[in-house]
Amino acid sequence: MLKYSIRRLLGMIPMLILISIVVFTLAKLMPGDSLSGEIDPNNTNPEYIAEMREKLGYNDPLPVQYFNWITGFVQGDFGKSTKYKRPVFDVIMEKIPNTLFLGIMSLIITYILAFMMGMYSGRKPYTLGDNAIAGINYIMLAIPSFVAAVFAIYFFAFNLNWFPFGGSVDILVETGSAEYYLSRLHHVLLPALVLGAMSTASYTQFLRNDIIENSRKDFVRTARAKGTPIKKIYNVHILRNSIIPLVTFLGFDFAALIGGAIITETIFTYPGIGMLFLDSVNVRDYPTLMALTMLLSFLTLAGNLIADLLYGIVDPRIRLE
Amino acid sequence: MASSNTITQQQKPERSLSPWQIARRKFLRNKLAMISTVFIIIVTALSFAAPFLAPFLSPLPDVARVNIGSMNIPPNSEHILGTDKSGRDVLTRLFYGGRISLLVGFSATLMVITLGTLVGSIAGFFGGFVDNILMRFTDFVLNFPFLVFVIVLNTILRDTIDGVSVLIIVIGVLSWGGVARLVRSKVLAEKENEYVLAALSIGCSPLKVIRKHLLPNVMSTIIVQATLIFASMIVVESALSYLGFGVPQSVPSWGNMLSSANEPDVLQGKPWIWMPPALVLTCTILSINFIGEGLKDAMNPKSLR
Repeated sequence: MLKYSIRRLLGMIPMLILISIVVFTLAKLMPGDSLSGEIDPNNTNPEYIAEMREKLGYNDPLPVQYFNWITGFVQGDFGKSTKYKRPVFDVIMEKIPNTLFLGIMSLIITYILAFMMGMYSGRKPYTLGDNAIAGINYIMLAIPSFVAAVFAIYFFAFNLNWFPFGGSVDILVETGSAEYYLSRLHHVLLPALVLGAMSTASYTQFLRNDIIENSRKDFVRTARAKGTPIKKIYNVHILRNSIIPLVTFLGFDFAALIGGAIITETIFTYPGIGMLFLDSVNVRDYPTLMALTMLLSFLTLAGNLIADLLYGIVDPRIRLE
Repeated sequence: MASSNTITQQQKPERSLSPWQIARRKFLRNKLAMISTVFIIIVTALSFAAPFLAPFLSPLPDVARVNIGSMNIPPNSEHILGTDKSGRDVLTRLFYGGRISLLVGFSATLMVITLGTLVGSIAGFFGGFVDNILMRFTDFVLNFPFLVFVIVLNTILRDTIDGVSVLIIVIGVLSWGGVARLVRSKVLAEKENEYVLAALSIGCSPLKVIRKHLLPNVMSTIIVQATLIFASMIVVESALSYLGFGVPQSVPSWGNMLSSANEPDVLQGKPWIWMPPALVLTCTILSINFIGEGLKDAMNPKSLR
């Protein structure tokens, strides 16, 4: 397993370098100074710009510029945000906890929903309940997440008043108090529900099919012959076997969550990195935009790596490939 | 067909159905898929007939003009679905919007399928070094966070070329990876058959073998995949337009129409503006998915329905 992990990790390095080159190229294609953010975009004096360009090394050959940028980037020097007039690193770090909170909540919701529905469907396949669950899953798969978000705000936030329709916390509550944390939880629930519902359907169907398949296996028959209660067979014997392949979904969820976060955070005006990303496009805050592009690419890559490694753990045959 | 030493031998054996005929019969018998097909045909027809229908739908057939006198009118007999905040008729825009959404979805799908099939079949057929290079490249494309790069590329390119075609190209270039992988795995399995060896040994060029022998055999998979991709491309277009990074705001599309729901006042108080595109979009996606499932079922020789 160690050998396999090391091989996967090493295989990621060329990918990282290639992606960083692409991001660098994109940054160069963008108008103005998109990497450091040191040049004041409001100062149009050509002498000033020429001087700054020379100082920042923009007249160096491109490979040198790339090298300087990437060494800085690895050390956490993401340039300076033109909107916030602060290092991009700090701006991003400020927003990450929110996105992390949202992501974790949505995963929890996905798991709870998927396990409840999947276990029911797997135990009673081809019944009315199973068909109803399959129908709900089908609709959840088909509804675009932003449409679901809009409907969720309309019904749950505006008409029923159960949840706030935006933000991450009430402005009036005191930071650090119990009320503060409750308010944050209250704010994150609706976006997390929308984000979590997206991947619930595939989990549910997978779990259902796996449970049905496992219930025909010999160890189930043996357990039955011994007189183990059906409930225990399903909840212990079969579930243990069915959870394992499900674990591999986690890595792919990472990538899906990134895309989902951009859309959901923007609709719910939830201040995380997804909203920061779109905001930086809108206000042409290119240093922030490029740093986020790079960061999100890394996260996607990391997600795929995790998925690969989990596959290796679950299915030992893959390691020998 | 029938065994040769029975009595029926003298009668001309009934021609067996071709795989496509069997698939068509199975599909026609699938109620859900047929209802969905009819729905999609109606939506498509209405969307593409929009310029001709517009004068009959409402007194304000021009979707590009802002009409200050008739802003935010709730649905009534004159405007069946009401008007939006710029005084444009919602129903007319819904038809025009369908045109753009379907067109972008279709073109992007065509591009994704063409690129994916090309890369996948070449990689699968030649194997070895070519396969390695092409598949590493595919991995590379698949490792990009899709939405992030679409938005960034669209921002860079938008000012240089016309907005709708940029969107199609950007989406297409970034999402062919999955198809390439799928086609490659199918071609890999298919090329082990004797008929490929036979075709090669009588001197068919690799191109001809791919085109005449391999592609027809993986076609059913590609068609099913294309249907599902078509649905997801429509979602991508409308999601991007909703966020303001898709087709230009001046062009009506379902996503653009939905973006008016960004204003809390419209979202809360004027549901007639954003609900029609939301519902039509969802029904369209659902129908396309049902058609895809129906096709998958119909083209699977193992399913008995």
